[in-house]
Amino acid sequence: MRCTSADRGRPALTRAEPVMGTVVSFLVPDGAGRPDDVSAVLGTACTELHRIDAIFTTWDGASPLSLLRRGEAALADMPPEVAEVLSLCRAARRASGGWFDPWAMPGGVDPTGLVKGWAVERAAKLLHQAGVAAAMVNGGGDLTVFGSPGLGQPHWRIGIRHPWRPDALAAVLLATGAVATSAGYERGCHLIYPGTTAPSSRAASATVTGPSLAVADALATALAVGGDEALAAIGEVEGYAGYLIRPDGTEASTPGIVFG
Amino acid sequence: MKVSPGLLAGATAAGFAGVLALHTMAALGPPGRNGGVMPATSASPAAGAGAARPPRPGAARLPGVGGPLRTATGTSVQFAYGTLAVRVTVRGRRITNVTVASLQTLEPTSQMISDQAIPVLRSEVLAAQSANVQGVSGASYTTSAYVQSVQAALDALHIR
Repeated sequence: MRCTSADRGRPALTRAEPVMGTVVSFLVPDGAGRPDDVSAVLGTACTELHRIDAIFTTWDGASPLSLLRRGEAALADMPPEVAEVLSLCRAARRASGGWFDPWAMPGGVDPTGLVKGWAVERAAKLLHQAGVAAAMVNGGGDLTVFGSPGLGQPHWRIGIRHPWRPDALAAVLLATGAVATSAGYERGCHLIYPGTTAPSSRAASATVTGPSLAVADALATALAVGGDEALAAIGEVEGYAGYLIRPDGTEASTPGIVFG
Repeated sequence: MKVSPGLLAGATAAGFAGVLALHTMAALGPPGRNGGVMPATSASPAAGAGAARPPRPGAARLPGVGGPLRTATGTSVQFAYGTLAVRVTVRGRRITNVTVASLQTLEPTSQMISDQAIPVLRSEVLAAQSANVQGVSGASYTTSAYVQSVQAALDALHIR
């Protein structure tokens, strides 16, 4: 996806990579901090995403996480990323007031609600470490940004998908880091109360912003399940903010949300 | 606000993410640079072999704001329910139309989902140009394939 010399330096560079059961898209705005080998950097990031996917996929019964879930392997036998993710899951469970709980899922520990965000965040870090000054990495609607989107703007303007009207946005947020949204409209009702098998009905759409997409992803899951109660917990987490659309269409947010 | 089952079904299939990300960048970009006729000969290698098409001679002579109409077909992209490719028409940097160039679905249910999703996605792409955002949070399958194909078509048209 390297630009031709004729338009080098002008358009944003993009790449869309099917991985982790979704598509992860990269957007690197033009600017002084865009290395010439940015396509190679994106390639490295995509390779890393596939490697992480192979560890954590629950679709492959032979993946390390699947073995762990079935008790056929111990944590000590896992790649180090598994312990790191589970440690983050524990932190997110605490921060969410228990509304995010990968250990309460049917079928064994399931960190899926955090892994995608964690992987996308990791890909973004790779870009940053490679000298990319600004980028957005969007993992199927859970995204993180760094740097400026261009034209000297300090914030990225991020639309929040409307829960019932696919042709509309519910809101626009100004973001400088992670934005994760969970909702019942995607992939069926995959959000389940901890300890039960009942789908949640406390949120139509749940968005969390903050510095880490791994944490924001988990907290968005918590917010979608716990509604107002979870929003109160998220409001107490330093650096993170929540925006909730309730099933009746009313909205609530914590002070850290900046609407554009 | 009540959610009707019909609306939910549509929304499920028509999740919405990068759509806005890509053409609002086009809409936000500096006008004029790509306004002229450019041979649409390159598509994104990363997104596969985009079937770029040369501008239609008839359309290229049409007067209008932002230059002639140009069209390109995006990469054929796999998604959860099948494979699709879209054709994008632009005038200058503005997307004027998006149509489905090809769609193969796995089974009748997939066809039904796609039939619901695609008109919605189309309206999203067109509407998104007026929404001044760089990305969208909240998404799903069909969207991603649609976006990927639209992106490939825009790449072929040298519009980002």
